[in-house]
Amino acid sequence: MKRIIILLIVLSACTSAFSQKKKVGFDNDTLSEIVVTSTRTATQLGNVAVPTKIVSKKYIEQTGSLKLQNILQELTGVTIVNSNLATSLNGYPNPFGQGIQMLGLDPAYTAVLIDGEPLVGRNAGILKLGRIATGNIKQIEVVKGPSSCLYGSEALAGVINIITDLPVSEKIGIQFHAENNNTFSETVSYANQIQKTGVQFFLNRYSTGGYDLDPNIYGKTIDPSRDWNSNLKLTHQLSQKAELLLSLRKFDSKQDCNYMINWQSAPAIVKGYTTEKDNTAFVQFKLRTSPKTNLFLRTFYDNYSNKSFANLASTDMRFDETSFIQNIIKPEIQIEHNSEKLKLIGGIGTYFENIDASRYSGKQSLLTTYSFFQNEWFMLQHKITLIAGARADKRTDYDWNVSPRIAFAYKANSKWKFTASAGYGFKAPDFRHMYLNFYNSQIGYSLIGNQILSSALQTLQQQGELEAGANISPYLQTRPLLPEKSFGTHIGAKYNQSNFSTEIGIFRNDINNLIDVYLLPFKKTNSRSIYSYQNINSIFTQGAEIDSKLKLSKSLQFSIGYQYLEAKDKKIIQQIKEGKLYKRDPVTFQTTTVSKSEYFGLSNRSKNTFNCKLLWENKNTNIFLRAIYRGKYGYSDVNGNNIIDDNREMVKGFWILKFATEKYIKKNLGIQLGIDNILNYTNPIQMPDVSGRIYFINVNYSFNHLFNKH
Amino acid sequence: MKKVLFLCAVAAVTFSACQKETPVVVPTIVTGTKTISVAFDPMGTDNFTLFRFSDSSVVANTDSASANWDFGIRFTNFIVNSHAGGPGNAGAILQDGTFDATATAPTSGYAYDTTASTRAIKDVSWYDYNPTTHAFTPKAGKVFIFKTADGTHYAKMELLSVTYGGLVGNPPAPTILYYTFRYTYQANGTTTF
Repeated sequence: MKRIIILLIVLSACTSAFSQKKKVGFDNDTLSEIVVTSTRTATQLGNVAVPTKIVSKKYIEQTGSLKLQNILQELTGVTIVNSNLATSLNGYPNPFGQGIQMLGLDPAYTAVLIDGEPLVGRNAGILKLGRIATGNIKQIEVVKGPSSCLYGSEALAGVINIITDLPVSEKIGIQFHAENNNTFSETVSYANQIQKTGVQFFLNRYSTGGYDLDPNIYGKTIDPSRDWNSNLKLTHQLSQKAELLLSLRKFDSKQDCNYMINWQSAPAIVKGYTTEKDNTAFVQFKLRTSPKTNLFLRTFYDNYSNKSFANLASTDMRFDETSFIQNIIKPEIQIEHNSEKLKLIGGIGTYFENIDASRYSGKQSLLTTYSFFQNEWFMLQHKITLIAGARADKRTDYDWNVSPRIAFAYKANSKWKFTASAGYGFKAPDFRHMYLNFYNSQIGYSLIGNQILSSALQTLQQQGELEAGANISPYLQTRPLLPEKSFGTHIGAKYNQSNFSTEIGIFRNDINNLIDVYLLPFKKTNSRSIYSYQNINSIFTQGAEIDSKLKLSKSLQFSIGYQYLEAKDKKIIQQIKEGKLYKRDPVTFQTTTVSKSEYFGLSNRSKNTFNCKLLWENKNTNIFLRAIYRGKYGYSDVNGNNIIDDNREMVKGFWILKFATEKYIKKNLGIQLGIDNILNYTNPIQMPDVSGRIYFINVNYSFNHLFNKH
Repeated sequence: MKKVLFLCAVAAVTFSACQKETPVVVPTIVTGTKTISVAFDPMGTDNFTLFRFSDSSVVANTDSASANWDFGIRFTNFIVNSHAGGPGNAGAILQDGTFDATATAPTSGYAYDTTASTRAIKDVSWYDYNPTTHAFTPKAGKVFIFKTADGTHYAKMELLSVTYGGLVGNPPAPTILYYTFRYTYQANGTTTF
């Protein structure tokens, strides 16, 4: 890792020397780019006071990637991780997919939005990123740091907002994508503006044959699947002051499963599939009540379902079956007022959700009422921006939760900008923490949600399923779960010159009341353990990141990014201090105490992550090379203390290299070729979602010329 | 076994003789590492596998109604030979620390199996279970102190590993668990190890 740091220093030195000599027109448009996520209202990126990154449509096209996670992993400080539970053991499929780790927090703590509205369907806290088609993404906005002040629950680590295309003048496009593993994708898009009405339509089909990383194990590592993604957007200008937006989204996927189990002491093959569907509708009415004031009335509706089954292949007997249905209705009013020195936004809304799931006890519903308010002051000719805001959330089952945030930006001159922000984030206990009633017959444990624990234990005891003498009385009045809370701070500096820019930031987050499973001190009569959820841990994450971009020539651009991260459990540190944490070498069986320096931190977190990119482009052609490094990270305990403090407990660091080149043969016909994972990195058990080397081709064709009548 | 005892005693004498000039009371110590195989029995229906410290032996289950054994294991459960556990006078304490640094056994505070489900050694207290790999790893830094079934001797014990064995089928399922532990038994009746 030291080598990389040295490389960074050398590169920065080179760049400053370089930039003094040459003054090529550097596209500064990243600062004038409009973002909406950081303040919930359209703002120029250059004026934003909280750490915000954007991924443009052009960038997505140049990568040629169809998978959102492959694009996000190229951002500094964003790591794509599996759930700790999501290893592919004996070919058993990983149902969780991959999620986003930001600021060292698990995927459950980053809010993922599409056009400002929540993406629904978390499984064990993870939203499967692969289900989002990339073809209609206008830009991705990534806000790091607690953002509950605007977005409420889940936005502890930050927000990823995927902004999709809006209607433009007439445009029809098709795209065909093919890669190895029998992976194909076909896309049709249409946009038009007919007088006061705009239309945007997008349809994508994606299918893959999956792949097998370990032929010695029955079944593929990733089984075949196919996805349909569609989006229809309509806009209508009702009057000079009023505008209507309707957006309908539909996602439909089918994923096969085919694996081997041990059934009645003999191997047996199990086959089935999972269907996942997500239908959303969004309506927004925008009214300009005065030249400086806008009023938004909006409603979001979502119907998500995930159903799976698996049959014993020999007898067709049902082996496993699950279903999960979630509905959400979210009406909201937002008002914003802009003036020369002040920008004000405020809003109120409710979030109603219900769940009917086979693993949950009964149908459950929750209602959250919320309001938010934020004021932005501009001082000294916009040299200083000051933001203060807060959001209050009241969910039916716990008290008001208030999340304030303040942020500050100072533009010293045209080159330097400094920012500082601090805020609170929270995550409400989710349905699984409260209502899960799950018995895993394969592994043999019960996991019971906090809210239903007392009734579930009473039922078990009445039915004689608890071991004799089990004292359930302390669990009949369980302490209700509290929201998980975080406080985060970020300090940053950005230097920007015609052909060189660099941005550094340091951050620290303290998270309390983390919900985790705990083991009950008694078992079922069949000796199987019972787990439930409680607020247990306190952790912190801290680190630093740097992003530099250099324009080497008119057509050549180079960038690097690096993040250093520490993420640790406070209780573990306390135990180490007291000399009460031991380790037992798995080979020599020597037991000793753990020292502070041996404690690596929470599992699944890399201390060092790095990326670099080289882009060459002219009018019709581009070549894009990217490299991503994920440093070693903890995986599983081997020395008897359940923490990561030994190299044998870690996954080795690895590189992913990617290459893509695109050429427009005609103005309306582009062909792109590429290779992902050039080094063919694979890790069947610990990283089953990383396929081997991928070769792909993209053909883009647009019919725009047919409409050009002049 | 007597030979081993004798050897140990000789070793102890030689060792202490090298270290100290003044003659001391020579403790009669049985020390060693033992791996015992226990049927893989997550349902908890089989008999316990019984162990006796004084001569490091596994005791046949037909002998269970006697004071000839000190403790027994079945899956994740320990049984101690007294009260609800058996006719002996054994007891146990599970304490934090390293095996080597545990120099003496407490004279009081020993727990018993008060009922068949309230055991001296609580089921979940001594291991971590990993639901992904199914491994259950004895927690590091846990030392078991036993008062033996005769009620007059003491032993310290550390569980080193629990591994699956006797794999059958594909995917493999275990039929045996191997418990490896090291222990020191003080045969002279004192609490010093």
